[in-house]
Amino acid sequence: MNDIVKVKNLRKVYPGPKRGAAEVVAVEDASFSIREGEILGLLGPNGAGKSTIISMLLGVLTPTSGTVSIFGSDLHTYHSEIMQHVTFASTYVRMPWRLTVIENLRVFGLLYGQSKAEFMERAQELLTFFGVWNQRNKTMSQLSAGQVTRVMLAKAFIPDPKIVLLDEPTASLDPDIAHQVRTFVLGQQKKHKTTILYTSHNMDEVTEVCDRVIFLRQGKIMAEDTPENLANSISDTEMVLTVANTEERKSLIALAQKGGYKTQATGKDVLIQIEEIHISELLTTVGKQKIHYSHITVQQPTLEQYFLQMSNQKHEN
Amino acid sequence: MKTKQTIPPARLSKRKSSAYRVYALMVRHALPMKRDFDLLSDMLYWPLMDTITWGIASSWLAGSDSTVGSAVLSILIALVIWNVIWRAQSEVSRNLIDEIWNNNLVNVFSTALTLREWMLSVLLQSFLKMFISAGFVSLVILGLYAVNVYQIGWWLVPFTVNATLTGWSVGFVAAALVIRYGQKVQTVVWTLPGALFPLSAVYFPVDQLPVGLRQISQLVPTTYIFESMRSLLFTGTLDLQMLWLSFGLNAIYIVLALWFFVRMFRKSKELNLARFSN
Repeated sequence: MNDIVKVKNLRKVYPGPKRGAAEVVAVEDASFSIREGEILGLLGPNGAGKSTIISMLLGVLTPTSGTVSIFGSDLHTYHSEIMQHVTFASTYVRMPWRLTVIENLRVFGLLYGQSKAEFMERAQELLTFFGVWNQRNKTMSQLSAGQVTRVMLAKAFIPDPKIVLLDEPTASLDPDIAHQVRTFVLGQQKKHKTTILYTSHNMDEVTEVCDRVIFLRQGKIMAEDTPENLANSISDTEMVLTVANTEERKSLIALAQKGGYKTQATGKDVLIQIEEIHISELLTTVGKQKIHYSHITVQQPTLEQYFLQMSNQKHEN
Repeated sequence: MKTKQTIPPARLSKRKSSAYRVYALMVRHALPMKRDFDLLSDMLYWPLMDTITWGIASSWLAGSDSTVGSAVLSILIALVIWNVIWRAQSEVSRNLIDEIWNNNLVNVFSTALTLREWMLSVLLQSFLKMFISAGFVSLVILGLYAVNVYQIGWWLVPFTVNATLTGWSVGFVAAALVIRYGQKVQTVVWTLPGALFPLSAVYFPVDQLPVGLRQISQLVPTTYIFESMRSLLFTGTLDLQMLWLSFGLNAIYIVLALWFFVRMFRKSKELNLARFSN
């Protein structure tokens, strides 16, 4: 698959807030690419540079240096031609509040060259899917926050774009609607091979939706991998066995420590930090040594743990 | 296997796509007018109030003295021309600040819309609304005071063209400041043209201004519009040199204003257009 978006050595430096104040480096030497049909997650704590990167990809912020190329063409030089196929939705941006839902979407349809027939078909499909078709003649000011978010999402997909940038698309949505949105996004990827850049503070959502994730911290790309690999990179799986018999519990601890695994005992529970691929081997040995456990839980490391660890490193630094 | 990438073909031809985008912005700003009185009032209500107020005041001052009739006519025609200037600048500067107020700036400029298309769209909107507003005021004057402002004939065309150019220059300067500095300077949308008002000698001759202001007034293109209009009404002759001077100054100012706007827009993009989003 082709890399449809290529970012090379992207850098953004803002002047200091006052004369003589130090410059602010918002993004430092970011290089990454997005494959056609991929959903790439952009993660990082507040102020990491996510929104800055998105702004540069949209062409509303001029980079200090570096290049962005989309469809093999330089974004700065071919902005108008490229952006006919790129849309975005952000929880931080709104649409004119005096216009109705359908009027707002029609304006965007026109901006993307859609005929009225094509627009109406697509608008009905999307607004019905997002459960706001009945609100189509209400002005944006009459909608709830969740409804506005859904209309913004509809706006992003109205012109059948090749690339969509979604900045916290499920913020302020109820869990069931958020689930619906994720299903829709995955469906767009599967059916239309839409390429999506996705930011979210919901790590479970990122794990579910994104093929790959980039982690940003203080304007720099710290890591780039699948959500699972990133999570596994910071800690092992945690397995907890409940062993009622004291002697058997001691044997279990000794066995785990002999294998080089960290253990922690709390009452009848023994927590063992172990790589997932070694779990079955350990349990086989536990069985052979006749160590009886009444309960077992396996907790894989999560992206949220990864995020917290990486963000805390920032604070420590 | 990787294939050479090209930008996918657009739905429409380049020219048609561009026309759609210009039209889209016109639709975006026209639609709210059907449900919001404050937008309509800006175009029709306030000009109506000005017409009534100035018309009655000038009629009272004229009394039965027919020699003052030309003065009344000059005030009423000046009202129409000033409306052209105000409308022309208002659509340019207010169009932009409206996008900022609505948190819609990024939505607009993250599309394929070019700055040139945005500028063309606001100029077309300005032209349309200017005609509607000026036409409305002219009809009100005819209805209320039985005065036909078109009696000055084809000279109304160069007056209107010059007035429009001045309005656009002021509008783009105000828009430039707004796109660069944001809502904290939004008052320039109203104060900048307001400053032009006394300096343009709209309702009185230039020699009525204090000496210092008179000299500044000579650098204002609209001064020559109103002076030549009064000259035509009072003496029956028009000093073409004044019109050419007005046009020459307008040509310089519109180029400078457009250059300033583009420069400020580029500077604003260096700082991020998204900084205006909440």
